[in-house]
Amino acid sequence: MDHDSVSYDRDFGRLVRDKTQSNIPVKSVYGPADLDGLDYDRDLGNPGEAPFTRGIYPEMYRRNLWLKSLIVCYATPEETNRAFKKYIAAGQTGLRVLTDTSTLSGVDPDHPLARYDIMCNGNPTFALTEYETMLDGIALEGIDLESANSTPSGSFFTYVFLVALMEKRGGDISQLRGTNINDPIHAAIVYGTPEFPPALARRVNLDLIEFGIRNTPRWHPCTPCGYDMRDAGLTSPQEMAFVIANALQYYGDAIKERRLRFDDFRPMVFSMSAESDFFETIAKFRATRRLWARMARERLGATTSRNMACRIGIRTAGNSIYPQKPLNNTARVTLQVLAAVLGGVQAIDPSGIDETFGLPSEESRIFELDLQHIIAHEGNVPLTADPLGGSYYVEWLTTRLETEATKLLDEIDRLGGMWKCLESGWLRQQFDRTTTEVQGEISEGKRLIVGANAFRGADGAISRAIVGGAYKVPPDEKRFGAIDRVRKLRQTRDQDAVTRCLRDLADAVREQRNVLRPAIEATKAYATLGEMVGTIRMAHGLSFDPYKRIAAPEFLEHVA
Amino acid sequence: MVESEAAVRVLIGKVGFDPHDRGILVLSQGLRNAGMEVIFVGKFLTAEEVVAAAIQESVDVIALSDHCGVMRLIAKDILAELERHGATDICVVAGGIIPEEDKPALESMGVTGNYGMGTPMEEIVSHIVERVNRRAKA
Repeated sequence: MDHDSVSYDRDFGRLVRDKTQSNIPVKSVYGPADLDGLDYDRDLGNPGEAPFTRGIYPEMYRRNLWLKSLIVCYATPEETNRAFKKYIAAGQTGLRVLTDTSTLSGVDPDHPLARYDIMCNGNPTFALTEYETMLDGIALEGIDLESANSTPSGSFFTYVFLVALMEKRGGDISQLRGTNINDPIHAAIVYGTPEFPPALARRVNLDLIEFGIRNTPRWHPCTPCGYDMRDAGLTSPQEMAFVIANALQYYGDAIKERRLRFDDFRPMVFSMSAESDFFETIAKFRATRRLWARMARERLGATTSRNMACRIGIRTAGNSIYPQKPLNNTARVTLQVLAAVLGGVQAIDPSGIDETFGLPSEESRIFELDLQHIIAHEGNVPLTADPLGGSYYVEWLTTRLETEATKLLDEIDRLGGMWKCLESGWLRQQFDRTTTEVQGEISEGKRLIVGANAFRGADGAISRAIVGGAYKVPPDEKRFGAIDRVRKLRQTRDQDAVTRCLRDLADAVREQRNVLRPAIEATKAYATLGEMVGTIRMAHGLSFDPYKRIAAPEFLEHVA
Repeated sequence: MVESEAAVRVLIGKVGFDPHDRGILVLSQGLRNAGMEVIFVGKFLTAEEVVAAAIQESVDVIALSDHCGVMRLIAKDILAELERHGATDICVVAGGIIPEEDKPALESMGVTGNYGMGTPMEEIVSHIVERVNRRAKA
């Protein structure tokens, strides 16, 4: 007769790594000797003082709690509107908008390729009508809005739609407050959508920075995004170096070509990732602030302490959310949010524990808010600024990350800046190398992922509920309803006004005028996003359709 | 292992606008390491274009990836297109973010694997080999 038996291993679960997630070798203990040369005033400073290693505000979270900013995007503008209101009531303080995947790619719902993605990962905000519904009953003055749309057209049109909506409501756009990714180099690597090729993307990026700074002084018109790049496979030093290098590229160009002074700009905002490697994540945010303070001074000529500071908004790592034993994702998100708070960031957008099965359910979103309330109010974590400052390990790791990122920044400088690094393929190689290395370590068991390549096990009732609760993409018939909506809009709007506005947009492109104002006016006349992208492209000498599958509408033939 | 001498030929591509391509990049590398021939056609494609490329390249397998939750529609279009070209001998496998409730329907359509993140590469490789061998016997 068989008896169940189990082989006991007292060392089961022993550590397999002696390196951080980014493969930085770690000793088993650190002490004073590891901080040789570290000078408190020069390298750390008090919170609120350059180089801001310890945080950007003197009293940190006592005075300025981080923004709890969730991406809110469901299939229809009505659902998204209801969700915003529900989450605001539950403590959401940063409103992040994201469109569906086809709109993000720069086309309208009736594009032939869109049939697969309409209403997936967000709602199709193809025209101002959709923003009117999505943000109905939500005052735009004084609230923090963030665009999570990070393709070149996605970044551009989120801003255009928000300004148009505010003006349409009779609001004061100087009160528009929030952030816009507007980072075409990262978008080319991560998204690869072709709507604005590099020369055009570069121009639109600078137009947005210039218009944003001059007209919406509380808006950050360009917040380089390390998050997407990190999620696509970078290390911490690469993520730090590339967001900073992109900032130097865009802001450097804006200063040179648009007669702006860096000291007129709002303090920099970086969008970054919070990973499961706890201490590396904390050290990364500290090191990023210190490195940026130096770069802003040395490379962009910042003269005020205010402009050497950078705010950091994070999303927790989406690629760390696994479908195997999904209850474990609560532990991962908790670890990552805690690291972000200890690292002194200004905005946190946690992943849904169920987002590997679909968009997060409402309950999962509420959990993400509650998790932050627990860290704040039960954990008392934010009571004091930079609580890990002075830790031998954290200070050593902060310096080490800064050193590694500095080496990359110097290399990028030698190569002629980030646009050049993108064009030459250098940037792509950086990704490929790291992704291959990480995948190899996972396959060989040198990197353990609980439930996936280690500690595997069956799902129970809780896991099944998490899987089943994720938001479902609507049935195809309902999704295709957006095609009727955009066609109906085109039939009912004042077509003469649209044609006139799009002609002005095309002229602005050709005459090297800033394209923002004409795009805002066209939006207020209910031109669609696909039409505006196509107009900008045609006036730039490109085909109407970025994907070369449809022809320009007739009325655009003599316009663009 | 594969019973025929020739290496298994796999076309990897994405239909629609889903931009997430880390999965297909990692998969391409993994399948090449396992000795397969990978034809990587990238993203932003129609079902017609994917099938045309598969036929032109005489592949054994089409590997699809989607993170938008619409693999059922993508698979339906791909299978209809294979049918139209009389190329139903090409096996179709899938991965990405595939809704749990869609998996039985996909399996019964003949679209198998349906793997999510964290799936060991060996599991995917042996599944593809097994599908190709099963087809060879049929």
